[in-house]
Amino acid sequence: MPHDGQDVATAETEVALLPDLLSLTGAAVGPAEHILAAARGAVKAMVTDGDRVSGTLVEAHQTAAHGFAWLATYVESLRQMQGWAERLQAEGAFGEIEQLIHQIAFGEYLWQIYGGIPMSQGEIVRLQDMGLSQDDMRVLMSPEVMTLTQYGNTQAARSRLVELMREQSANATVGHAGLDDELGMIREQFRRYAVDRIEPVAHEWHLADDLIPMEIIEELSEMGVFGLTIPEEHGGLGMSKAAMCVVSEELSRGYIGVGSLGTRSEIAAELIICGGTDDQKARWLPGLASGEILPTAVFTEPNTGSDLGALRTRAVRDGDDWVLNGNKTWITHAARTHVMTVLARTVPDTSDYRGLSMFLAEKTPGTDEAPFPDAGLSGGEIEVLGYRGMKEYTVNFDDFRVKGENLLGGEEGEGFKQLMQTFESARIQTAARAIGVAQSALDISMRYAEERKQFGKALIEFPRVSGKLAMMAVEIMVARQLTYFSAREKDAERRCDLEAGMAKLLGARVAWACADNGLQIHGGNGFALEYPISRVLCDARILNIFEGAAEIQAQVIARRLLS
Amino acid sequence: MKVLVPVKRVIDYNVKVRVKADGTGVDLANVKMSMNPFDEIAVEEAIRLKEAGTADEVVAVSIGVKQSQETLRTALAMGADRAILVVAADDVHQDIEPLAVAKILAKVAEEEGPGLILCGKQAIDNDMNATGQMLSALLGWSQATYANKVEIEGDHAVVTREVDGGLQTVKVKMPTIVSTDLRLNEPRYASLPNIMKAKKKPLEEKTPADYGVDVAPRLQVVRTSEPPERKAGVKVGSVDELIEKLKNEAGVL
Repeated sequence: MPHDGQDVATAETEVALLPDLLSLTGAAVGPAEHILAAARGAVKAMVTDGDRVSGTLVEAHQTAAHGFAWLATYVESLRQMQGWAERLQAEGAFGEIEQLIHQIAFGEYLWQIYGGIPMSQGEIVRLQDMGLSQDDMRVLMSPEVMTLTQYGNTQAARSRLVELMREQSANATVGHAGLDDELGMIREQFRRYAVDRIEPVAHEWHLADDLIPMEIIEELSEMGVFGLTIPEEHGGLGMSKAAMCVVSEELSRGYIGVGSLGTRSEIAAELIICGGTDDQKARWLPGLASGEILPTAVFTEPNTGSDLGALRTRAVRDGDDWVLNGNKTWITHAARTHVMTVLARTVPDTSDYRGLSMFLAEKTPGTDEAPFPDAGLSGGEIEVLGYRGMKEYTVNFDDFRVKGENLLGGEEGEGFKQLMQTFESARIQTAARAIGVAQSALDISMRYAEERKQFGKALIEFPRVSGKLAMMAVEIMVARQLTYFSAREKDAERRCDLEAGMAKLLGARVAWACADNGLQIHGGNGFALEYPISRVLCDARILNIFEGAAEIQAQVIARRLLS
Repeated sequence: MKVLVPVKRVIDYNVKVRVKADGTGVDLANVKMSMNPFDEIAVEEAIRLKEAGTADEVVAVSIGVKQSQETLRTALAMGADRAILVVAADDVHQDIEPLAVAKILAKVAEEEGPGLILCGKQAIDNDMNATGQMLSALLGWSQATYANKVEIEGDHAVVTREVDGGLQTVKVKMPTIVSTDLRLNEPRYASLPNIMKAKKKPLEEKTPADYGVDVAPRLQVVRTSEPPERKAGVKVGSVDELIEKLKNEAGVL
């Protein structure tokens, strides 16, 4: 007998695709937005003191506030998936594989909205945590939502999706990414480069804890990676953030370290474009764009990570110059770098972000053996699980001199503000890196599942294996669409800290889930260092931590939406 | 010297090819298409000649469906200067036969007057390996097929060819047609600046009628079938059993 919301005979026939899918999913967005509005009201009531959102109350109700941020991320995901599907439909490119991805995404994410969203494996946030009653929750269950939750993410749909993934394995992405031909060509070129030049050697670099060879950096520079979004007048290519996403994705799919090389120049350049003087722009940007100048970000300290405003490294004027003292940590690629963007306190007797200034401190590039040749500069390598290839360092300033002309913008006390202006791009780029890592987990485990035979057949024939692969493909597409959305917003010069934060938040979780499930498909072999999936797992782990840990990201999103 | 490079949009070499249920050909619906790999080598060689100062213009030309403009854009992004697209089919399943392609190319060559036509030795979709040779006959130009190395010496091209059992070097008078083999070079990746520039390069669109060529098929495909599936092997328990099977089942002893 048909149940409520079941208007099609899918149960018996196990048809993978629901009829009139786009109308169904289109009609399901409204109820999701409705429940988001209800959650916002309820959480806002918890955290408001008088007419202001209180920091103390947000902290007291952190699960509710962060849960609300995740809920908002899910609702935005559904909106972006719907937009993607409708655009493809209009172009005649909404094929079976795209429809299955779309349907499974809606089925799964709607169910999770109703039943619980995993903020992490051990923290499932439910609408009741946001102060909603059973009656409030029922608003979500419109007939369309009921159909999608019941028949959207089925084994038949997942199996059919994987069947198509196997048939169409030559395509660069599972399903049409929804970008134009030029971006498609960029993807093809960088995919090919990564397959030829990076994938075969990345695992060796990781195991040996080697720096990425300079040869690769030179090749990336020839291909235009470092100047991608830097405006043409400063020696770059002036391309879109969307192009930056595609390049980061495909290079990170080869190896996260290679996909991250470009980001670093990009963010340093953006810092200088937004906050630098004309002289500073002329001095640094062309070299950053060509890849001849490799930058590194020197912000974090042993006692200040997420709470950056409290940092203690001091810079004191001495004649025209500045003298730096203090300890920094988690400095990526510090050995080879030519310029360090250093955040330091110049205003004495301050203890928050207002006393911070940004310096473009010149550094002599060192080697793996002698990373810090300059006077007043020392440090050591931090051995890490993954995200190797550039290496992490502690850096100590001991009366380290920085030229007066290298205070960013020539103004004191602007450092934190200048840094904040780069957060949007850094998060969009990190979301793209997460997608690349997730995709590499899918590539590797898909191949393994097809080749490895147990009980007389390939692993991929088992629904619990193919189901994992299907969910990887689906969530990768959701994270992709959220990321491309934030990139488009950035390209249109609209504020997008919220969107970029959501893309990074979801992308990082998806990358970890893909790596973890990918390793699970490998069984014991995945636990062996010899197999590349073991590296991908380690690499994926950083994505939830750097560029705004998941908890900070949720906090920022919640504060923005509740204010 | 101008170099003309014909490029074909073919099924990507990574695609697991499927034969259509009615046996009339290969299923190309929703299948990834790319530039024929041998043509990519030809484009690369032409660009290298230009970079070396031997050639001054590289013109890519494609004959096929409208979507072949993507293939031409790739050639432009690699470094070709301009492109000509001859839209000769509406349906991706309609292959234009080598003779028709060669006739169109002959007309293009008459208009463009290249000193060298560099083409792939064959397209990986139907493996005809005929267009370059037919073009040579139609134009009455010399030809050097399966090139492993190409050098221009005055008004001659010295081409090392891959032949059975080794290499053969020939010297041909220009203008000439050279077809490329796999080991001639390794095609480059199109860089971001060149992909950007490709957008602004001219891509002219033509039809077979513009050249007075009839592209109606002259060949008939009787049947297309998948290669026979490989059967699973068996494990033998002993050498005796193996010999027995080789003698009586395989009939090779």
